[in-house]
Amino acid sequence: MDRLDDLLAEFFDPTTLAPAGLGARIARHRAAHDDVAADVARFHLEATDRGLRRVSYGAGHDGAATAAARRHLVRARAELAEYLAGVRTYFSVPLDLRDTGEFQARVLAHATRIPYGETSSYAELARRIGHPRASRAVGNALGANPVPILIPCHRVIRGDGSWGHYAFGAPMKTALLQLERNTPALVGSSTTRIVCRRGCAHEQRIKEENRVVFAAVADARSVGYRPCKVCQR
Amino acid sequence: MDERTFARLAEEYAARLFAVAFRLLGNRGDAEDAVQRALLKSYAARASYSPRWAVSTWLYRILTNVCVDELRRRRPTTDVTVVPVSTPSAAGAIGDRIDVARALEAVPREARVLLALHYVDGLSHRELAAIRGISINTVKSQLARGKGIMRAALERGRHGSTRRSAR
Repeated sequence: MDRLDDLLAEFFDPTTLAPAGLGARIARHRAAHDDVAADVARFHLEATDRGLRRVSYGAGHDGAATAAARRHLVRARAELAEYLAGVRTYFSVPLDLRDTGEFQARVLAHATRIPYGETSSYAELARRIGHPRASRAVGNALGANPVPILIPCHRVIRGDGSWGHYAFGAPMKTALLQLERNTPALVGSSTTRIVCRRGCAHEQRIKEENRVVFAAVADARSVGYRPCKVCQR
Repeated sequence: MDERTFARLAEEYAARLFAVAFRLLGNRGDAEDAVQRALLKSYAARASYSPRWAVSTWLYRILTNVCVDELRRRRPTTDVTVVPVSTPSAAGAIGDRIDVARALEAVPREARVLLALHYVDGLSHRELAAIRGISINTVKSQLARGKGIMRAALERGRHGSTRRSAR
């Protein structure tokens, strides 16, 4: 130890430097800005040969036994990341819903048709599947949705406007609906007069200066645009 | 890492992380920014944390990367001196500290990072090597080189100040 050591030790003494409460302030900042839907790593996916079977949030791990399953998993994860980043408004990865019953399958199929950025109610969904008095059963079927987000059960809210139950928690439902509200769902090209859903390969090729944003296909049709044949089912 | 663990880590390490960042970046605002960014990054990347490393190693690694990025970003505007310039006082701690700050400016970046880590938290050569991703021998030689440069700069400064005060 020489004088330089002493000088450096004094110079770098951490006890005299830091502003009081810096750590607590940063922890509070993080808690206030915690975006539940920001981090794709928090979601866990399970896939089979046929497609994606399960999506869970928080604890858990990815599961894929075969090469085909791993391909589905990689694709699902990429699409999910794009969706959460607001650059994709629909999913095209295959789903494996063999484990769902006949009634639940119908409910899920109808839930998938609720457009990005819009919401529906449990009663409305029950009417659409032809069981107008079964809104509670519809709620249960959606609650047991094995692939939340990919099948957008978060777009179904209660008739009085309250959120209702959500498998990944109410803050997540809020975050997802907020994300969809703030993301333009449809992008048209002013040169080809074709309108795509956000995330379509053709949408990604539209030049910045030719982009037109639409809220609904009907809006686009009314000004002479037609839906893209690839991304509009 | 859950919320409570993060809050505890932030409390525990903020002061030390700040000391490193402050001495590398030279001003409090940037240092607070760097600490915050490093801690938030560590939270966002918590899935990639491996228990092989000590938490401190991991945090210091993220912090030094943030600081080095900041220094690199700053480089085109190096004419902005971050160390308060004043004539070294004849004696006393403040004069010493300014001398040390100046001498440290003469030390290359990598060695400066190592010096800061070594003296803030008394980290061992092995830990320093893990944090910066270099070999232990490189750590040793960089530290020795950094100290050599500082010693020379301090000597020069001392002679300079005595000359000036004599005039």
